[in-house]
Amino acid sequence: MLDLCEIAQICGDMPRIWSPDARGMAPQCHGAAGQVHPAGGRGGSIRPRNVEDMITAEGLGKRYGDKVAVDDVSFTVRPGSVTGFLGPNGAGKSTTMRMIVGLDRPSSGRVSVNGKEYRQLGAPLTEVGVLLDAKAVHTGRSARNHLRAMAATHGIQASRVDEVIDITGIGSVARKRAGGFSLGMGQRLGIAAALLGDPHTLILDEPVNGLDPEGVRWVRQFVRHAASEGRTILLSSHLMSEMAQTADHVIVLGRGKVLADAALPDLVRAWTTERVHVRSPRAAELASAVSGRDVEVVTSSPDTLDISGLPASRIGDLAFEQGIPIHELTPTSGSLEDAYLALTGESVEYRTRAVPQAGAQLEEAHA
Amino acid sequence: MTAIQARATHIPATTSRPTFVRQLRSELIKLMTVRGTWWSVGIVALLTIGIAFIVTSAMSPPIDNIIMAVIMPVQFTMMLAGILGVISVTGEYSTGMVRSTFTANPVRGAVLAAKAAMLGAFMFVVSLAIFLIAAVGISPLAAAKDMALDWADPLKVIVPIVAASATMGLFALLGVGMGFMLRSGAGAIAITVGILFVLPVVITLLGGLLHDIEWVAQLADYVPSTAAQYAILPSDGMPLSPAAAWAVLVAWPAAALLGAWAVVRGRDV
Repeated sequence: MLDLCEIAQICGDMPRIWSPDARGMAPQCHGAAGQVHPAGGRGGSIRPRNVEDMITAEGLGKRYGDKVAVDDVSFTVRPGSVTGFLGPNGAGKSTTMRMIVGLDRPSSGRVSVNGKEYRQLGAPLTEVGVLLDAKAVHTGRSARNHLRAMAATHGIQASRVDEVIDITGIGSVARKRAGGFSLGMGQRLGIAAALLGDPHTLILDEPVNGLDPEGVRWVRQFVRHAASEGRTILLSSHLMSEMAQTADHVIVLGRGKVLADAALPDLVRAWTTERVHVRSPRAAELASAVSGRDVEVVTSSPDTLDISGLPASRIGDLAFEQGIPIHELTPTSGSLEDAYLALTGESVEYRTRAVPQAGAQLEEAHA
Repeated sequence: MTAIQARATHIPATTSRPTFVRQLRSELIKLMTVRGTWWSVGIVALLTIGIAFIVTSAMSPPIDNIIMAVIMPVQFTMMLAGILGVISVTGEYSTGMVRSTFTANPVRGAVLAAKAAMLGAFMFVVSLAIFLIAAVGISPLAAAKDMALDWADPLKVIVPIVAASATMGLFALLGVGMGFMLRSGAGAIAITVGILFVLPVVITLLGGLLHDIEWVAQLADYVPSTAAQYAILPSDGMPLSPAAAWAVLVAWPAAALLGAWAVVRGRDV
């Protein structure tokens, strides 16, 4: 979890992300206190979450003619955490998101937000903020007028329009035609629109696509902050390292099916192998000393080994018994990317060939 | 604090939610903030006022009612009314804006109704202003040529102008319906212009070829552009009564909008 004080210092006006009536979510920290209580603080508690504040898909399916885009998908996106939506291109992520917000009609099953179908929500913008793609904007209209038109549907004040423009940092281009926006500016405009109604649930399809590093970090801190307030967040991204830093929970789709639905650390543990990186001047001797069933040794250079199947402690003991000096002994766990690739290996429609690693040599050590 | 109380204090739920009037406002903002709208209005104004002057200067007494000089340009400007109706919808589909529109208000029938109402009302008001400007504009010239407009008799000036403005609004609705049904700007413009311009020509041609079959030629009375003439400046001996002409004028956009509603409700966006 990110330190809220740190966020507050980086983004001084963070609490204004939601609404001007301070909802008491200003982090309590000393250094930045002046900055983070801009509205003086009516300081109430954050709205209590309940089980209804989630996205629930049950047996959700979508077919276009013969092609099955989404096939019997069930999942729950819970409040108070960031749920990452992963999957190769064409896995059905965007289709699922469109079905959640009622743009596409499911061929089978159902999906609900806060216990209701999206079309039955009384005030959609105040319940769900959606960023489906940056292009859901008329190219001939200025950013501000786009937001005004969206806000008008719910009677949201013009002051809130200016606020979301401020929050997303598009003030300098707000009066320019959206058609001329860069991808990143388009994304910020889309996020601004999603924030208009101060929603409890955020559905963001590739929000960091096209953003500069500052924007990527902003989105990460923003969704973390929103989750810490108990909001429900579903976020898709192709950037694994970004997802690893942002999500608490991950749903992986492949060819329209749910391949995994787990807490991020559990997923990584289940789908990657923990290795121990060992450096020794007598690496070859150590390699034979540790060999055994289920032990895999990769020699990446004459004095380094990557060993999987044995804990670091056992390797250290074995080396000690043989009198082999050890210069480094580092356990490394897999990354989300490794787990993702292992999971989706079968379901990638367009895959690339693996690049052979120079110098790497695999030694299958059998007993 | 219970969840319900919290929800009530969090967002004044009764104030922030879609209503028909708010959707109308949103549609008005959308209409006013794209250039296409003002291009269409500009061309309608130019054609109406220009043609009114040309016709007035070409006419000489005795003339029954010189207001016809102001009304006649509808034959051309009806196309722009239809096109504005079309592009107000297809512009949303081609840019993806429609996804924002339908997520902000998922009751698609309400969105369609609000957009249609706003386009019809906007076209009516704009046309009314343009016709009035044209009528006032030609007044000195007409008076000088001894064909002065009879402003004192509402039936001579005001009623035809209001009627012509109403038909412009209805043509815009026809375009809205076609836009929602077809989603493609080119396709919807082609069909709308086809109904307004090509259909009468085709029927007249067919009527000439098949002059034994009487009802074919009579069909020409039921196309919108012909019915508009009967509705705006009715006179004795016309094939359709004013009431029948208005019924025809309303039926076309009504059919288009009903068709649009039928397909938009269930279609994926």
